[in-house]
Amino acid sequence: MKATIVKCSFGIFAFSEENALVEKVLFPKNPQNAAKTITKIESGKIVDEVARLIKLVKKKGYDKFVFENANLAKEAEKLGIATEVAKPSRAGELVRSNMERFAVETGFVKNVEEFNVWTHNVTMEIAKLRVKGAVEKRDLIIAQAIQTLDDLDKTINLFMSRVREWYGIHFPELDRLVDKHEAYARLILELGNRENFTVEALEKQDVPKSKSEQIAKTAEASMGADLAEADLKQIQSLCKDVLNLYQLRENMEKYLETAMEEVAPNVKAIVGALLGARLIAISGGLTNLARRPASTIQVLGAEKALFRALKSGARPPKHGIIFQHTYLHEAKKWQRGKIARALAGKLAIAARSDAFGGRYIGDDLKADLEKRLEEIREKYTEPPQVPEKKPQQEKKWRKNKRAHKR
Amino acid sequence: MHISVKPHPQFPAIYQVTLEDGAQRLATRNLTPGRNVYGERLIRFEGVEYRVWDAFRSKLAAAINKNLKTVPIKPNHTVLYLGAASGTTASHVSDIVGEKGRVYCVEFASRAIRELVNNVCAYRVNMLPILEDARFPEKYAVFVSGKVDDIYCDIAQPEQAKVLADNADLFLKKHGWIMLAVKSQSIDVTKEPSEVYKQETKVLKNRGFDIEEIVHLEPYDKAHAMIVARFY
Repeated sequence: MKATIVKCSFGIFAFSEENALVEKVLFPKNPQNAAKTITKIESGKIVDEVARLIKLVKKKGYDKFVFENANLAKEAEKLGIATEVAKPSRAGELVRSNMERFAVETGFVKNVEEFNVWTHNVTMEIAKLRVKGAVEKRDLIIAQAIQTLDDLDKTINLFMSRVREWYGIHFPELDRLVDKHEAYARLILELGNRENFTVEALEKQDVPKSKSEQIAKTAEASMGADLAEADLKQIQSLCKDVLNLYQLRENMEKYLETAMEEVAPNVKAIVGALLGARLIAISGGLTNLARRPASTIQVLGAEKALFRALKSGARPPKHGIIFQHTYLHEAKKWQRGKIARALAGKLAIAARSDAFGGRYIGDDLKADLEKRLEEIREKYTEPPQVPEKKPQQEKKWRKNKRAHKR
Repeated sequence: MHISVKPHPQFPAIYQVTLEDGAQRLATRNLTPGRNVYGERLIRFEGVEYRVWDAFRSKLAAAINKNLKTVPIKPNHTVLYLGAASGTTASHVSDIVGEKGRVYCVEFASRAIRELVNNVCAYRVNMLPILEDARFPEKYAVFVSGKVDDIYCDIAQPEQAKVLADNADLFLKKHGWIMLAVKSQSIDVTKEPSEVYKQETKVLKNRGFDIEEIVHLEPYDKAHAMIVARFY
C-alpha cells in the first residue's frame, strides 16, 4: 500500500491513496522549534518527527512512501523503505487548499484565528533563520572591509587636500616638495612651525639628505605667513587623525590579506587580496561572483559604459574594475582588451573553484595566464594599423544594431 | 490651510490627503498607529491615523496617481506579493487589506528581508515574510493556505511575466486579479520600453490572462509600466 507524506507549517502527515488521513505527527507548539524542524525537513534531513511518522505508518501495513521533496525521499530510502516523488501530490494539494480547517480538525489549534497567528509566527521564524544562514558567510564581511578601505582612501585624500591648503598659508612651498600625504602629515605633526624645518630635524624624520637641504633652504626663504601656536595646533591635530587613519588602513589591508587567503585563495593568487575583495563586493558575494561568466567579470564596475554600449551601439568597454591590476594598466593600450579577456577567464575559473570547494589551483592558473600574456606581448608588439575611417561605420560596433532613438 | 483626508472616489481603503500647502497625496489608514515603515509622514485626522503614500517610492501609488481604473486589492483580500523587498509598497497593501486580510511577502534578497522582518512583519500580523525565490513557487506552497485573491508582482527579472503566471497557476483563484510592475530595463535594455510591454502582455495572454489595462508610470518611474489583468 502506498502512503503520501505531506509537510505543513504545523506537522507532518501521511495519507492513503484515497486521500484519507492515516497518521499524523504534530510539531511542538513553539514557533522557533517548528521553524527549525521545517527548515531541516526541507533540506532533506530525517528529523525525529519524520522518523516517527514513517514508523507509525509502516506498522499500519504501508510499504511505499510518496514524498513531495526529492531530497527527503532520497534520505528516507536509507531507512530501508521504498519511495517515490510526486510534486505536487494530490494529498498535498488537498491539505494546502484547506489548511485552516485541517489545522483545526487535527486539533493543533482551536480556531482559525489562532492558526493565523501561528502561521505568522512560523513564517517569521523561518525567514529569520534563513537570513541568518545567508549572512553567516564570510565573504560578505570581506565585502564590507574592502568598502571600508576604499572609504578610508577617499577620506584621507579629502582631509589631506585640506591640510595642504591650510598649512600652505604658512609654508606654501612644501606642497610641491613632499608628494606623499603620509610624509607630509608626519612632518607637520613632528616639526610644526616651518622654522623647525632644518636639515638635521628633517634627516631625523628619514628625509634623504639632498631633499632635506632643499626643503630647509625653501623654508628659510618662504613667502608664507606666520602662524600662531594655537592655529598650528589645530592643523597638527588633524594631521594626527589622518596618520591614525593610515594606521587603520594598514591594519585593514593586513586583515584582508589573511581573510582572502581563507575565503578565496585562488582569486587572491591571480589578482591579489584587494582587487579580489573588490570583485566579491561588486558581485555581492563569492558565490555570485562564481556564477558570473568571464565576460561579465571582465566588465564588472564598468556597467555605465556597458549599458551605454548596449543601448546605443557605441563601443563596449574592454575592462571594468580589473583594470586596477598591474597587468592591465601597465600594458600597452592596444593589448589591454586581449589581456582583460585572458585575466577575466582565469578569474572565473578561480572564483568557481573557491566558491564550490575546489582545490588550490591558483599557481597553475597564474602560470597559464603569464604564458598567455607573454604570447600577447610578442604577437602584438606594434599598435594595430587603424584603417581609414568611413564616416558611416564609425559609430557602429555591431552590424544591424539599431541606434537608440529617444 | 488645514490637512484634510477624504476617501478615494473609486477605491476602498485608499485615501486622498490634502497637505498644509495644498499638495495632494495618497494615503492608507495605518494598521499600526504610531509606527511608520520607510520614513513616510503620519497624519492624524478626525481621530484616525493615516500613512502618506509616496508615489515616487511605490509603483502602486504611482499607478493610482496615473489614473489606474482598477485596483483589485481590496479590504479582506489575501494577496500574494512577489518581490516585497523591505516592504514599502507591501505595507500599504497590508493597510488596504486590513486585519482580516493577509499579505504573503515573497522576497529572495536576505538583506532586504531583514528590514522586512524586523520593521514591518513583526508589527503587522497580516503580513507573512517568505524568503524564497519567486521562480520556484512550489517551495513556499506550504505556507500559502488556500488560494489568493490577487497577486502583486514587482520583481526585476527578465522573465517576470512567466514567473507571475507560474505563481498564478499554483495560487491564484479563478477570476483573480494580478498587477504586474514591468521594469523594461530589467528585461532588455536594448529594446524600446513599449516593445517590452507588448512582449510581456503577450506572455500573460498566452497564459490565460485578460489584460484589463496598462499604465505608464512616468514621471514617477522611468521606463516602467503597471499591467492589470484577470485570470481565467
